Amino acid sequence: MRELCEQAVAAALGAGASYADARVVVRRSQVVATRNQRVERLDDAESEGIGVRVLVEGAWGFACDRRLGTEGAQAAASKATAFAKAAPGGHHRALAPVGATRGEYRTPVEQDPFAVSLADKADLCLRAERALEHEDVKVTTASVRAQREHKVFVSSEGSSIEQELVECGGGIDAFATREGITQIRSHPSAHGGSSSQAGWEYVESLALEQEAPRVAEQAAALLRADPCPSGVMTVVIDAEQMQLQTHESVGHPTELDRVYGTEAAYAGTSFLKPEDLGSLRYGSEHMNITADSTTPGGLGTFGFDDEGVAAHREPVVAEGILSGFLTSRETAARIGNGSGGSMRADGWSRMPLVRMTNLHLEPGEGSLDELIAGVDDGVFLQTNKSWSIDDKRLNFQFGTQIAWEIKGGELGRMLRDATYTGQTPVFWGSLDAVAGPDEWVLQGLTNCGKGQPGQHAHVSHGASPARFRNVQVGFRS
Amino acid sequence: MSETLELAQRALQAAEGDEALAIVQRELSGMARYAGSEVHQPTLIENEVVELQVVRNGRPGLASANRTDDEGLRTLAARAAEAADNAPADPDFPGLAPGGEQVAVEGYDETTAALTAEEQAHLAAAAIGASDLDLYGFFTSGLTELALASTTGLSLCQSMTDAGVLALAAVDGASGYAEQTSWRLDEVDPAATAKAAVAKAEQTRGAVQIEPGSYAAVLEPYAFAELLLYFAYDAFSGLGFQEERTFASGRIGEKVFDERFSLAEDPLDARGLPKSFDFEGSPKRRVELVSAGVLSGVLWDRRTAKLAGDGHETTGSAPMSRLRHWGPLPTSLSVAGGEAGSSEELAELVGDGIYVTRLHYLSIVNPREGVITGMTRDGTFRIRDGRIAEPLVNLRFTVTVPEFLERLYGLTREPVLVNESSFYDERYPNGALVPAVATARFDVTGTGSGPGV
Repeated sequence: MRELCEQAVAAALGAGASYADARVVVRRSQVVATRNQRVERLDDAESEGIGVRVLVEGAWGFACDRRLGTEGAQAAASKATAFAKAAPGGHHRALAPVGATRGEYRTPVEQDPFAVSLADKADLCLRAERALEHEDVKVTTASVRAQREHKVFVSSEGSSIEQELVECGGGIDAFATREGITQIRSHPSAHGGSSSQAGWEYVESLALEQEAPRVAEQAAALLRADPCPSGVMTVVIDAEQMQLQTHESVGHPTELDRVYGTEAAYAGTSFLKPEDLGSLRYGSEHMNITADSTTPGGLGTFGFDDEGVAAHREPVVAEGILSGFLTSRETAARIGNGSGGSMRADGWSRMPLVRMTNLHLEPGEGSLDELIAGVDDGVFLQTNKSWSIDDKRLNFQFGTQIAWEIKGGELGRMLRDATYTGQTPVFWGSLDAVAGPDEWVLQGLTNCGKGQPGQHAHVSHGASPARFRNVQVGFRS
Repeated sequence: MSETLELAQRALQAAEGDEALAIVQRELSGMARYAGSEVHQPTLIENEVVELQVVRNGRPGLASANRTDDEGLRTLAARAAEAADNAPADPDFPGLAPGGEQVAVEGYDETTAALTAEEQAHLAAAAIGASDLDLYGFFTSGLTELALASTTGLSLCQSMTDAGVLALAAVDGASGYAEQTSWRLDEVDPAATAKAAVAKAEQTRGAVQIEPGSYAAVLEPYAFAELLLYFAYDAFSGLGFQEERTFASGRIGEKVFDERFSLAEDPLDARGLPKSFDFEGSPKRRVELVSAGVLSGVLWDRRTAKLAGDGHETTGSAPMSRLRHWGPLPTSLSVAGGEAGSSEELAELVGDGIYVTRLHYLSIVNPREGVITGMTRDGTFRIRDGRIAEPLVNLRFTVTVPEFLERLYGLTREPVLVNESSFYDERYPNGALVPAVATARFDVTGTGSGPGV
């Protein structure tokens, strides 16, 4: 693999590139999913290829080829260089210096997820589904996944890096239906569950079978719950929903390529400007957000990103002030700050983009119960159900699977169909408490979309439950 | 025999099972993505993926790979066999589709298939050069080949081309959007698309706020297609229908929409991005989903049709395997045109309301009721006295789609092909034929940022 990368880089330089890098990626993934106690997916996929990125007089070129041989490496290099020469535009690009990096990184794994048979994986899903059985639950699903990505990166600046990233995860859902109402509950999180860079021990820790009865009971109980009332009130948001809130309203707007407009046509831009760094008040003093590509178990954890920049931890928001952006070498050079470190590509056939790595809401103090005790009249919101945010990441609306009334500092009746909405800096400005480290939960999602052609990033977030004052709950005009 | 079908046959021969289905997806594509009027993210892809489904003792297993030499296919076959051997028995497995004559469709253009990377760059340059404002978006073209071969006699291959330009003309405080897609390059005009985006952007300067509330509205085809796609993925999938999770559940035969609204899944229409067969090998066909406001059907694949029983048959709507959890899906929605000659005529019918060019980041809030939220962007305006008036900031809407479609003022005569390809994973071009629509109810529930970058 390393030799192919070196051949591709040499071919690109020979064709006129001033900079070139090549990545060979071999990815294997398994998905086992069951639905109503039948296997819905039992898939074992492998994909391999080489992607070559070049700069020719400041213009980017990128081409890829599935053939892991000299022919494929040289074809990708040749096409990338030819395209860059023909690309329209002004092309004045610089890359933040990174130096020649040599290194290796492997995900620490206790139990290789690919050593667990597909039969055992299917059996786990089916057992979890059986535990979801309930009179009102009409549809049950369970799924587990595993992925191993072996990749080699070589650049014309002398970097040569080999990494093996292993991840796995799983989740369950219960859909309850009665008299025209359908409700869903999930565990450990919505939208396919949670994943981690770890071995099969992570899937076992999710306790899918053990949590299933609670999930089913709550889905059924939601059918009889009152709709969540609308109004401006105090909300306490659970760790999982805080992870998505952080992802959408802090992670994406602090991607510096969005700030510079390169995602304008699709994913959108950002309400932030480069000059806001170090001065913009993003939220209250309780708001501390950290980007950390070294987090054990994080899906955004690596030794080096896809530009060869070493993993590191840095503040993005410190005590409510914007303190950092997520950067590439190109955007870091443009803003004159940092050295990149957030560039990741979805496999061999996509160009690296600025992506979140692991982005955390740092814990505060106290417990979830103490957060709730500080609310006279409000709601507690749990587990994401719907999500939407505008192209500059200002106006958002989230829905949650379940909510609970809070009266006099105590949880009351269950509520369904809760949503809340706000404007990003106003909302984060109303943060008045984050629960402590004992409530902090790390979870990983695999469906973060960006780029054209589209790329899925695997991202983790850690968060504790948090409390916000004066939030608009409900959406009806 | 095409090389793609030949590869599917080779994979089938390598298979170890009682029954087997080989699917090959081949992609040769280029996308010149630009921002600030320069290409910043070019991607040239050459790939072919072989998926092998084998059935052993009634247990189906699936594996895929993109290594296609003999050793690669042997490894693939062994992994598919292992998957099947590890699978529990599946009494709901419908069996593989029978062989038959392939439905002939349009959708392949030699000129489009032959575009080189340099030509793709020049077509992107044509869009950029025609824009007086900074341009964001892409020019893309590709050749996609899909081949299926099975032990049940399937031997199918379709070559599909697509070309498209997306143009967002934008500066601080102004942005406008336009796009064009076709399977024929000569029907895509990058410069004209860019100019249309610029003209729209110039109208958006000085955007103002409005109060949340229920408004009459005109939605351009881009916006209407996006809203319908999100609704259709849930509402017209036989899986969700059967599981009583969607709006259509229990409502077939009921008149629930305005009689002006008719919707079909029409993969055979040459004005769209035609499809000959689905990912199970079943022939594609036109399916009426809404007829003059009456819910008339949903989409089925072989599995959901078998589970539904009662004489249901596949409608040729099986998606690729990684989307199987969605159940059968539309690839080619088609809305019947109305009588209005233009979106401006629809604005006259509305009189007082809002005008929406494009939507952003939709999410299904309540699938059973068809509640969808999202934002408008890149061309939102007030309609006053039947004319498009002052520009508005981006609006958050939360609409119940059946209410949105319950009372329509009209639709434009000629549907427009709107690109619905996400370009994630393997390329599979798809789009919707949709006119502009004027509705009596579009619920605005908040306001967001202004137009522009």
